[in-house]
Amino acid sequence: MPPKGKAQKPKGPETSKAPSTAPAPQQAASPALSAPPANVKQRSQQRFDESRPYEVARQKVGLSGLSPAEQVGWISARFARSNAVARSRLGPKSQRELWRHVNEANLPVRALKKDPFWGRDRNGRDVGEYNLAQFDDRTAKRIALTALEVSSRAFGDLRERANRGPRDETSGLVVTETEVQEERVRRASMATLRKELYGEKMTGKLAQDPEWDDVEPIPYEEPAVALAAIAYPEEYAEAISYLRAVMQKKECSPRCLRLTEHIISMNPSHYTVWLYRASNIFALKLPFLDELNWLNSVALENLKNYQIWHHRHLLIENYYPKIADSPSAIADLAASEQEFLATILAEDTKNYHVWSYRSYLVSKLGLWGNADELAAMESMIRDDVRNNSAWSHRFYIIFSNPEHSTPGTASTEPDPRAPPDIVDREIQFAQDRIYLAPQNQSPWIYLRGVLVKGGRKLASVEKFVEEFITGLEEQGSKEDIQSTHALDLLAEIYAEKGDKKKADLCLRRLGDKWDRIRVGYWEWRRKCLGTPGGEVVAQA
Amino acid sequence: MVAGADTAAEPSLNEKHLKYWTMCLQYPLPQIYLANESNRMALAYFIVNSISILTPSPSPSSAQPQPPPLISPVERRALREWVLSHQHAAGGFCGTSSLLFPLRDYEEWDFEEQKPTPEHSGLANIAATVFSLLILALLADDDEAELAFNGVDRVKTLRWLRKLQREDGSFGESLMNLPGRGWFVGGGYDGRYCYIATVIRWILRGDLKEGELGWVEDFDTERLAKYILNSQTYDGGFAGSSADEPHAGYAYCAISALSLLDRPQENSIAAHPSKILHSRIRDMPGLIHWLASRQFVYLKPKERAETFDEDDDPVNYLLPEELSDLTLDENIRHVGFNGRSNKVADTCYCWWVGAALANLGKVDMIDQKSTRRFLLERMQHKIGGFGKFPGSPPDVYHACFGTAILAVMGEPGLKECDSSLAIPVDAVRRIERARRALLKRANEEGQPVSLASEILDMGLSIRGEKPAWLTVVEG
Repeated sequence: MPPKGKAQKPKGPETSKAPSTAPAPQQAASPALSAPPANVKQRSQQRFDESRPYEVARQKVGLSGLSPAEQVGWISARFARSNAVARSRLGPKSQRELWRHVNEANLPVRALKKDPFWGRDRNGRDVGEYNLAQFDDRTAKRIALTALEVSSRAFGDLRERANRGPRDETSGLVVTETEVQEERVRRASMATLRKELYGEKMTGKLAQDPEWDDVEPIPYEEPAVALAAIAYPEEYAEAISYLRAVMQKKECSPRCLRLTEHIISMNPSHYTVWLYRASNIFALKLPFLDELNWLNSVALENLKNYQIWHHRHLLIENYYPKIADSPSAIADLAASEQEFLATILAEDTKNYHVWSYRSYLVSKLGLWGNADELAAMESMIRDDVRNNSAWSHRFYIIFSNPEHSTPGTASTEPDPRAPPDIVDREIQFAQDRIYLAPQNQSPWIYLRGVLVKGGRKLASVEKFVEEFITGLEEQGSKEDIQSTHALDLLAEIYAEKGDKKKADLCLRRLGDKWDRIRVGYWEWRRKCLGTPGGEVVAQA
Repeated sequence: MVAGADTAAEPSLNEKHLKYWTMCLQYPLPQIYLANESNRMALAYFIVNSISILTPSPSPSSAQPQPPPLISPVERRALREWVLSHQHAAGGFCGTSSLLFPLRDYEEWDFEEQKPTPEHSGLANIAATVFSLLILALLADDDEAELAFNGVDRVKTLRWLRKLQREDGSFGESLMNLPGRGWFVGGGYDGRYCYIATVIRWILRGDLKEGELGWVEDFDTERLAKYILNSQTYDGGFAGSSADEPHAGYAYCAISALSLLDRPQENSIAAHPSKILHSRIRDMPGLIHWLASRQFVYLKPKERAETFDEDDDPVNYLLPEELSDLTLDENIRHVGFNGRSNKVADTCYCWWVGAALANLGKVDMIDQKSTRRFLLERMQHKIGGFGKFPGSPPDVYHACFGTAILAVMGEPGLKECDSSLAIPVDAVRRIERARRALLKRANEEGQPVSLASEILDMGLSIRGEKPAWLTVVEG
């Protein structure tokens, strides 16, 4: 049952009189009232019926079907709620009679409108169809939203006054960080409520943030005809619209830094955003290590990203001059970088960007002779003898070490300064690993590279190479080749020694049997053998 | 007929792939491409280029009615406008559409002096610039090729390009005024930027000598050549620098860049004996050896048994149990390519390696039949396009380069492709004609502009075609 008083409370001019003792209109006349309403619409209907006593009964049985008392009640109620003009047609006596009836029977003098519209919720559903508990819940939310809006406006006013500055020295207003934080929370709740109540699109993270109130975002609009449009998430589109606004003003501030972080978390490949981030860091003179630590976490989350490593490169470039005079600071940086590189390479052992950064770091911090660097390569090659990135880096740190290399010598050229003991050691290192997996190309090309660098003859490893080749000239079932790379190198060794016939045989066996997919290449090598001066002529 | 029904129903390569590209053309790319948002012009190039390769011009003798082109002439004009809208006021093109600013933001500029400092200059990007120029050439009609670069600010773009060159001769991707550091060339030490610089130079400038028509200051080509030549590694490959691991992408870029430095401007389709390329690479046999080594017999990973197979190595490519297992018949084997030693096969390296060898005139060093089989049977997706790895869904990058290498290997039904510019040769011819027109216009600069040519430009920009009445005026 709805609260009785609401619709029935007499509101006519006579209300000040003593409450009537007359019985309430007969409930029996409207049986629907006995059942509790299932939803808001039903409740409205019940209240509507209550504001029109005897009407339901009259519609059912007709006026003549009502008892005389009910007839009087029905007529009085109609007159009571009809307009003043209609009532004024009654004589004074009749009017008195009317109001007496109205008072005694506690008749309503105004009627509710039929079928009030309660609005639609975010799903387009008529709120009138809500059950009462749902409706109460919705009402509570609307009240809560209104309260939040009031507080939010108060915050806005406060900040506006604070921005205007103090009227006098003593009454200066300050908006505290706590208040800003409270407002942030408030707006998030408001956005949630608006979405729940009205299905309003959630305002973005930035639009909700009081910190960004003074920035007018510049949304990007996709033209009608364009190529390669990408379905952006809304959050990304919002962030870009703020980025446009701050980049246009060339703003550098902590909030811009946070904005770049926000965008990078959604799209870590955006080079402009990275450069803009660097601008902010340099402009605000932020601590190098803070940025580096942040970058570590981003790098681990985005293993394949390229820009992260370029950003790191730029940070080191900017930081290095500050520590250039302090060997201990350089050593500390080297150690912490090596530690991080070990972590990231454990996740992705051949990541090209990480390896490029690593070689840059070696040259920047002078780590060629660094024992940890060499040990790291040793262990990575132990873990995966086919990790060519580690082989390649090993070659670089050993043979580009300025302590024992000639500046300006190309990688493919012999270097007279390459120490023979190191060359011997590296030849041995490669050979030991070839035994582990003879068809692994990495140590073979490393071996050849070391021989060239050390100015050694390829033939100096002829014995070793021949270990992988059995019965070559037999061409029959006895021929066994454990490594095509061995046969390849052997061909070069024979050519070096001037034994074209044997070299040609190696190349033929490669093209005919052991490495047929490269037959075009092996045939070219054979042609190179034939001409005096060899390969230089063949390539033209 | 019944027996052949299955094969008859199989759509042609062109049909199948164009279906995929139609999808990329007509609908927004899925969110997975968000990471490429700042290189959107590259995505656009992959789409337009592939469609072009897959749509050969009808032979004049063909009486068959041609289907309407996938991109209509009206759309082509609108797309050209879209590309040109990315041009930066200080030269170059922007890569990120969503960071384009309205023209009014350049109001305070002195365009002659480029003062105050070019705002947002970090937005113009070297890759976006080359892809914009290539798309303009790809979208131009053959009978209007002269107009392909209408609207391109050639002089500013070339001057901007010079500023992207670093002391060591290498190129970066963009310019940014960093607080406390001044003008900074952004982007890593990356052979791709060096290659792109030579493409832009070849398209807009070529080898013009001072005093010649349309001369603009050149970048330091000798220093660039030295930088590239020095990035050869101990095993003959090329890397971002000689300190790094060689990589097929960089090898392609090095070879193509060196050959573009002295590529002739006219009749450039025919192979030219690039002096820089053929006489200055220190270890050419090593380079060829390294490139030829990138192909390997692709063995399908074993079907996963109930227990996890420890031998399945996702980092290195599969080797056979016995070497003699590699002697598979050439009619059944698959040949894939990796970008570095011991790495797994990836569609794009068919292009980077194959096209690099083609640039050296050595495309016969790859096992073309088996490579084609590998692409079509392992990398091609049933909805069209190519994926990165066997079984991967297609993406525009791998689909474009998978198609391009098939074209370089002479796949019937595809347009002939230029392996150092990565576009069909008909687009290369249009570039030559468009460049000629740009240089001619440069010559006319400072001369009184004829009313007719202004009207012509106006008519072209409004209607995209020569107004009929103009011939009368001109006559």
